[in-house]
Amino acid sequence: MLGDIITPDLFASAFRMATPLALAAIGGTICERSGVVNIALEGIMLTGAFFGTAAVLATGNPWIGVLAAMAAGVAIASVHAFASINLRSDQVVSGTAINLLALGVTGFLMEFWYGHPGTTDPIAVLRPIFSFTSPGGGFFAEIWRWFNGIVLSHTPIVYITIIIAVLAQWALYRTRWGLRLRALGEHPRAVDTVGVNVYRGRWIAVLMSGALAGLAGANLTIEQVGSFTENMTNGRGFIALAANIFGRWTPAGSYLASLLFGFADALQIKLQVFRDVITVPPQFFLMLPYVLTVIVLAGVIGRAIAPAAVGQPYKKG
Amino acid sequence: MPVLELREVTKVFPGVVANDRVSMTLERGEIVALLGENGAGKSTLMNVVYGLLSAEHGEILIDGSTVKIRSPRQAIDHGIGMVHQHFMLVEPLTVTENIVLGREPGRLGVIDFTEARAKVAEISQRYGLRIDPDSRIADLSVGMQQRVEILKALYQGASVLILDEPTAVLTPQEVRELFSVVRSLVSEGLSVVFITHKLEEVMAVADRIIVMRAGAVVGETRPSETDEVGLARMMVGRDVVLRVEKTPARCGDTVLDVRDLHVEGERGLEAVAGVTFDVCGGEVVAIAGVSGNGQTELIDALVGLRPPSAGTMALKGVDITHASARRSIEAGVSHIPEDRHRRGLVLQFDLAENLVLGDHRLAPYASRGIMNRRVIAEMARTRISDYDIRTPSERVLASSMSGGNQQKVVVAREIGRDPELLVAAQPTRGLDVGAIEFVHRQILAERDAGKAVLLISLELEEVLSLADRILVMYEGRIVREFSADEADAETLGYHMTGGGGTKLGDSGAPTPETDEAAERGAGR
Repeated sequence: MLGDIITPDLFASAFRMATPLALAAIGGTICERSGVVNIALEGIMLTGAFFGTAAVLATGNPWIGVLAAMAAGVAIASVHAFASINLRSDQVVSGTAINLLALGVTGFLMEFWYGHPGTTDPIAVLRPIFSFTSPGGGFFAEIWRWFNGIVLSHTPIVYITIIIAVLAQWALYRTRWGLRLRALGEHPRAVDTVGVNVYRGRWIAVLMSGALAGLAGANLTIEQVGSFTENMTNGRGFIALAANIFGRWTPAGSYLASLLFGFADALQIKLQVFRDVITVPPQFFLMLPYVLTVIVLAGVIGRAIAPAAVGQPYKKG
Repeated sequence: MPVLELREVTKVFPGVVANDRVSMTLERGEIVALLGENGAGKSTLMNVVYGLLSAEHGEILIDGSTVKIRSPRQAIDHGIGMVHQHFMLVEPLTVTENIVLGREPGRLGVIDFTEARAKVAEISQRYGLRIDPDSRIADLSVGMQQRVEILKALYQGASVLILDEPTAVLTPQEVRELFSVVRSLVSEGLSVVFITHKLEEVMAVADRIIVMRAGAVVGETRPSETDEVGLARMMVGRDVVLRVEKTPARCGDTVLDVRDLHVEGERGLEAVAGVTFDVCGGEVVAIAGVSGNGQTELIDALVGLRPPSAGTMALKGVDITHASARRSIEAGVSHIPEDRHRRGLVLQFDLAENLVLGDHRLAPYASRGIMNRRVIAEMARTRISDYDIRTPSERVLASSMSGGNQQKVVVAREIGRDPELLVAAQPTRGLDVGAIEFVHRQILAERDAGKAVLLISLELEEVLSLADRILVMYEGRIVREFSADEADAETLGYHMTGGGGTKLGDSGAPTPETDEAAERGAGR
């Protein structure tokens, strides 16, 4: 039975499951490093998922759907940016409002455009980039089967996410943008007094998190599911937030933490198959990723140190 | 031609004229001290020059030509650098990252850290400001952090350097180092504006002194033409007693009796290693010592904030060794804490609420758990007038008051409670001469009313002026006891550093031992 659970597909599935979490988590990292709390990741992801699907339904081109999802993410993130940066409202309240708004707007437009609630028609999806066939049998074929399964079986956004994680990690510690971003979330007045525009820096960071969470939504619909269902993000935005904390507000850490959560998700799906053998209710397996989130946060939160100025609106002068 | 000139600068805040037609000049290679009480408008004026605030009227001239400064960026471009009272440093970042922030060397947005480090090293060498460019700010002492701030301004090309209350957070040793840094900067052709309310500093470092009071310049002088008494008079606008007169103590019954007290510090190390002393009613006993020699832990134990590991404490014969903070207050211990922001006040509460803290659940301020707002407000108004707290009303938030007024609130609450024992830790830290005089008078009045006062202070001047008996604390022990008339600053300083270090009165280079003591004090 163990051999049926531990397969290349389990690990490949972990990477797939990790992708939307990691994209949103890196978005959260960038946003919070600038000093803005973003609990709106969930809503932004859902918005991206919906408009991505709508664009594919309208045009038939999945890449246009991806761009639409990111654009929608940026658009709704700009509401959060305006509220928390310019109006200096409470960032948690603004984020919560956006989550509720996203749920309502996507549900409403679903009915308004497609005439029914629930799930949309299937859409054209992005296919895995490579498709190799396994050669015969033997030891090397087995190795190839694992390598092909884990590394080469993925859709484009899965790879793009890994590239984004590496690039963002490098940029955070090696570029002007990264240095200023790190300073912004710690001591915005220090950034202001050396003549860097705090508001602009935070706006850019919030919009980037919108684009990334929107892309996460696109991955869900245009790569994984192939249609949009109401509230399909199902708490992933919040798990992403946890991954960001577990990853200590770094892009690479966020990715690795997401991979852990993704693996838990992949495992629970696998275990569902064996519910006749292991006689526990299926809800128990469904619970796994969330339980893991709680355990990880409880164990790590005492040591993880958030950016000092996160959640505090900045007022000039 | 002056490098910086202000003409008739006026800055108005809602309800207050912070700067009233202020004019001043700064010559190349000159140190000008801007002297004034807290709230006299010194910082406001310099924030206008640095572009953080914009003035309603007036002109700023740099090298003889009028400029408009609307943001720090523009100030920096005009060669003005400012070291703020609260450091503008990002703690988790390195020294180099902080210095180059905003003007990072590199191409296409990628920072060239090799070049950045080299530039920092070059500037630090040129001005003799030694620093490790790769240290994280959070790991540096306050004195070193200030050095980073100065380097930051120099890196940005400052030729005019504004230092806002630079000595407020430094140990005496660090102050001496800062002064020599400032002198080397002006010898390199920089000009320095030095904001302060400390008279002896002005006399020590300034070429020219501009005195401000209530938003306006009230005088200009040079150290050679005046003395501290004259400066104090100009600054406050009346004669100020720098050393409060007092009558000999009339010692009554023993109030506080501490026997072989041991207290552990933050890391489980023994910070107070067995101290025994008593304080009787009607006397001020001072504990003198270099910061970090166990005073903080001793205070915490006395007021019930930290349980002692061994020994006993008794107040008027009642054991308070393991009393909680609440029981300690009920027993009659009042506490003016070292850090008024962290422990003395709730900054987001208004004045009345701050004044009632600790007594808030007792009659007449509350009955059956419901607070009586009217009675509290009445009490607050009485305290405001008794303690000369300058505020429009008792509903003003503590956070919006000046440091001197905040301290008066703490003093009013703690003394107003009419305690048996007053534990006063650094009661005049950060206050100007007028406010210091006031607090000193209140403490002596408490003594003369027959109460016991335990004063813990790093300022020898304060210890000598208030105490009837002085205990010198070193490495958790009381190493010497003096009566008021046999102590002077030199001998105290000698024993405060373990009896082996250089006397504080000496002007020569300190031995490594005093350095160490000073650094302990600076560590946070």
